Amino acid sequence: MEYFLQNFINALQWGSFYALIALGYSMVYSILMLFNFAHGDIFMSGAYIGFCIASLFIFLFGGVGAPGWLVMILTIIVSMFLTSFIGVLIEKIGYRPLRNAPRASAAITGLMIGIILETSNIAIFGTKRIAFPPLVETVTYNIAGIFITNKKIIIVAISLFLMAGLHFFIEKTKWGMAMRAMSYDFFIVPLMGVSLNVIAPLTFAIGSALAAAAGILYGLAYPVLDPYMGILLGWKAFVAAILGGRGSILGAALAGFLLGFIEIFTAMIFPSTLRDLIAYSIILIILTIRPHGFFGKAHSSSLRL
Amino acid sequence: MQPRYFATFYLNYKNMKRIIGFKKILGFFSAMPALGWLFGFFSAVIIEYLIGNNIAWLLGLPKIPVLFGFLIMLKKPLLIPGALAYIIIVYLLPLTLTARFFSGKINKLAAKLYKLPPPVYTVFYLIFLYIIIDIWAGMSDYRIVTLKLTFIAIILTLSLNVINGYMGEFSCSHTGFMALGAYFASTVTLILFTNDKLFGEALLPSYLAPFLFPIALIIGGIAAALGSLLVAIPSFRTRGDYLAIISLAFMFIVKSLIENLEVLGGARGMGGQHPLANLPTVFIWTILSIWIINNFVTSIIGKATNAVRDNETAANAMTINTRRTKIVTFMFAAFWAGVAGGLFAHVLCYVNPGTFGIKKLAEIFTMVYFGGLNSIVGSIIGAVAFNLASEALRPLELFKWIIIPVIMILIMIYRPTGLVAFKEFDIKKILAPKGDK
Amino acid sequence: MKKLSLILTAIFFTLFALSSSGWCWGKKKIIKIGINAPITGDIPKVGENTKNTAKMWLEDIEKAGGIEIAGKKYPVELVIEDNEAQAESAVKVNTKMITEDEVITVIGPQSSKQAIPAGGVADSYATPMISPWSTNPDTTKDRPYVFRGCFLDPFQGPMLANFVKEEFGFTKAAVLYDVASDYPKGLAEYFKQAWEKNNGEGSVVSYESFTTKDADFSSQLTKIINSGAEVLFVPQYYNEVALIVKQARELGWKKPILGSDSWGSSETITLCGSDCYGAFFSTHYASAGAEGITKEFIDRYKKKYSYVPDDVCALTWDSLKLAQKAIEALVEFSGDIKKDRENVKKNLAEIANFEGVTGNMSFTPDGDPVKCAIIVKISDAGEFRFYKSVCP
Repeated sequence: MEYFLQNFINALQWGSFYALIALGYSMVYSILMLFNFAHGDIFMSGAYIGFCIASLFIFLFGGVGAPGWLVMILTIIVSMFLTSFIGVLIEKIGYRPLRNAPRASAAITGLMIGIILETSNIAIFGTKRIAFPPLVETVTYNIAGIFITNKKIIIVAISLFLMAGLHFFIEKTKWGMAMRAMSYDFFIVPLMGVSLNVIAPLTFAIGSALAAAAGILYGLAYPVLDPYMGILLGWKAFVAAILGGRGSILGAALAGFLLGFIEIFTAMIFPSTLRDLIAYSIILIILTIRPHGFFGKAHSSSLRL
Repeated sequence: MQPRYFATFYLNYKNMKRIIGFKKILGFFSAMPALGWLFGFFSAVIIEYLIGNNIAWLLGLPKIPVLFGFLIMLKKPLLIPGALAYIIIVYLLPLTLTARFFSGKINKLAAKLYKLPPPVYTVFYLIFLYIIIDIWAGMSDYRIVTLKLTFIAIILTLSLNVINGYMGEFSCSHTGFMALGAYFASTVTLILFTNDKLFGEALLPSYLAPFLFPIALIIGGIAAALGSLLVAIPSFRTRGDYLAIISLAFMFIVKSLIENLEVLGGARGMGGQHPLANLPTVFIWTILSIWIINNFVTSIIGKATNAVRDNETAANAMTINTRRTKIVTFMFAAFWAGVAGGLFAHVLCYVNPGTFGIKKLAEIFTMVYFGGLNSIVGSIIGAVAFNLASEALRPLELFKWIIIPVIMILIMIYRPTGLVAFKEFDIKKILAPKGDK
Repeated sequence: MKKLSLILTAIFFTLFALSSSGWCWGKKKIIKIGINAPITGDIPKVGENTKNTAKMWLEDIEKAGGIEIAGKKYPVELVIEDNEAQAESAVKVNTKMITEDEVITVIGPQSSKQAIPAGGVADSYATPMISPWSTNPDTTKDRPYVFRGCFLDPFQGPMLANFVKEEFGFTKAAVLYDVASDYPKGLAEYFKQAWEKNNGEGSVVSYESFTTKDADFSSQLTKIINSGAEVLFVPQYYNEVALIVKQARELGWKKPILGSDSWGSSETITLCGSDCYGAFFSTHYASAGAEGITKEFIDRYKKKYSYVPDDVCALTWDSLKLAQKAIEALVEFSGDIKKDRENVKKNLAEIANFEGVTGNMSFTPDGDPVKCAIIVKISDAGEFRFYKSVCP
């Protein structure tokens, strides 16, 4: 039981990264029907921006003795803000000119923008891997044989908070309503006075901001940043986003958690060498049984690439 | 591209032609048939073979510039004029002279050839082409390696184009198919011909290897085709985005499976293959793949894949068996990816599951979408251009990975379906004589 | 228009004349050495270290006026090419350097994934190649022209297993390694073999793995902690080491951790911090308290590039020095590249007791070095302290 609970908590942390990144994917995917293959690299850029901001804040406030959690919150907010500009820029350069093109072409542009982000990152920061500053002192609690660190609690709490915030934004605000409308039909909705040229950058901005938050939390939990860290995570979050189903943003978050749970628990139950094999077989089976993801609606003709 | 953009481009192009007088200079090229180009290159290659070294020496080049001077240009910019002069003297001059003075005669010859049955003259052209390639590549082993890998890239690009271009799915499993082919083909040749620590003594003498190599490749291809069923069967009920992640999951599964199979060497990879994939073998397989894939996409089932792409429901209503179409197309494309994988393994004489990862996938995507969807010529252009550019820009190290993506993005913005998309590939038209009215 | 083309033509011909003057001085005898490094791709840090080390070496040579062969000095040119950390690019690059640039010997590629196919190329063209970092036995096996600079897994794995047995007397061990990467995998296997030979079947109580680029090891570590192992063996690269060790500590692991030569980088401490203090690992040299040429090398490198060199740098340096020694031992530099390569290969195989930065070494007939390993303990100040030396 302890063993199970310990892994449950591990999976909660790991799943929240997938969920946060998948949310960003799903924003773009559900509303604009684009694969944003650059998303993993936006996540990476977010982590690096977070690193710069955090270092700056530590340098500024270090003498004053500001508490770590304050620096962390400030870092997250500022980096989310800055990274959202990267998202907007990518939308403007890479996706807007391709709005009438086949969706696969946009996916390729995304892939290429991702490579550019990685390369320019190496050009700026060098090939060295970077240690993310530990903003919060790690405290380990031992509750009945289960080890929980304060970082784990912070990470899960912040990601749940962000998810709830996004849900509120999408469901309750005017902008959110415009986005939902856009996801129904982006030919008719612009005629109703909602400009696609406003909604699309906004979607990218929010998605990138979430990726930046994920990047900083990732830096807290796994404090080694490297320029290629976004690739595999991005592709896996892509799996989660689509597993959640088109048109369902919270579905993506749930699928992200599910992916985390599948990975952790297959490693727990089976020999861990077989983890990828079994985890992805499960996903293959899920998709064979439920071909439109968990919450997606079946409208296959509009899913053409 | 939007029509108005296209119009401006076209007009500019026309203006340019008039201003610079391209028409006057290059007009006679348009009267040259395919045979003329071959003759032109043949003479260029013969010149290079005979006196290439002397010309290079005269121009102050250390050696003959192997890949049209691309390699030395970026490393030693001082040599650029020399390399350019070399290209002009050795390649452009013979071509121009052939076009200027022999067009008529060659056209007559081409017309004579054209009267023969198409298979006969096609084979003649291919043999001629191979002779040129062989002489050209024979001058440097670096050319041979680059050519072999380029040819393999052509097969890969074509086979992915069948799924992504002709059928309109977004399949991410191609490296998985390639890995299956590479591993199965290598296993066969290793069991049969190599004294190896994984499979023990060789069963057959190694002089038989070149003859049985095609069988090994076909086994690899069939293995990949069978593997593709795992992707093809879920594709009955879903498509587009969901199929993309099914195929992605398939790729991860194959990679993880190979890593766990200790029999195949696991992550350590499998080495010791005989270098069976020499230039003629790779060339023949490439031509075969172009021929068969072209036949496939122009056949009834090929047209059916197009129908499935454009509207699956309508296709179904028109009595197209969409399930059969999907299965056959997937298996067919996977077969060729497997063959390419097998060739790849025997060029490198080593395979490793890490080679068949996301990076390779991105590379194949780039080639397909650069060249053009739904087009055989496009795929060939995409593969050749990417491989050449990749070699040429290598000295730039990091900046290569900024330049290539930027080019790719520009292509996607101005020609969203690729350079030469939606073109039919008609060998008869290409080989037809020109100019005679 | 006409003026422009006139100017262009003029520029063209001037440049042409400049470059053509090449053949006046072009046919000088130059010793060319190829460096096949992963400058872009998955492991850019390795490529950068290789390049930096090679440049430092070249500086030395240039200061000395070239490599001296039979009393005459010849200039040296490095041909540095990028293999993108891909097997096919490594093959292309090796072919290019050997057939086009006519290098006398190739240094690199570093990781086995590229070194095995590239070694095949070098061997078929009878060109000596030294891979500084590749630990896979297949790299040099049955290839008389291919050498390597590092020791092999079959030596390092058992050595670590024996070290723990002698030093601590533990009987239960756990291993966590990357199943998709051949260096950790090979080492993990040999360690397991040796450990089970020492302590009986099933004494490796937990044998867990992950895949390259994973960042979360909590599930595997939970398993390891619950298995009751007394020591954890992590044969990983330093970026993964930092994550694994930190997470292990967070999950309550307080027992010793054991590493391999890939830990031997200053970045281990930068990334891992105090969590790694007290861990042991085997390596080629201990940077704290190094003596003689090793210290000299570390200091110079640090001064030039402002970071402490890691094992890649040290091994590349030794490989370059080995190549230099083999070239210097030539009876004459004939300019006939085939003959020279053959002789260099012969000299390389005959090198005995070469005094390198990573210890003294000689080559076995297979082209693998025989050299001692050092066990290092990470002190509480974060320094690599010499603990014990083990020789084969």
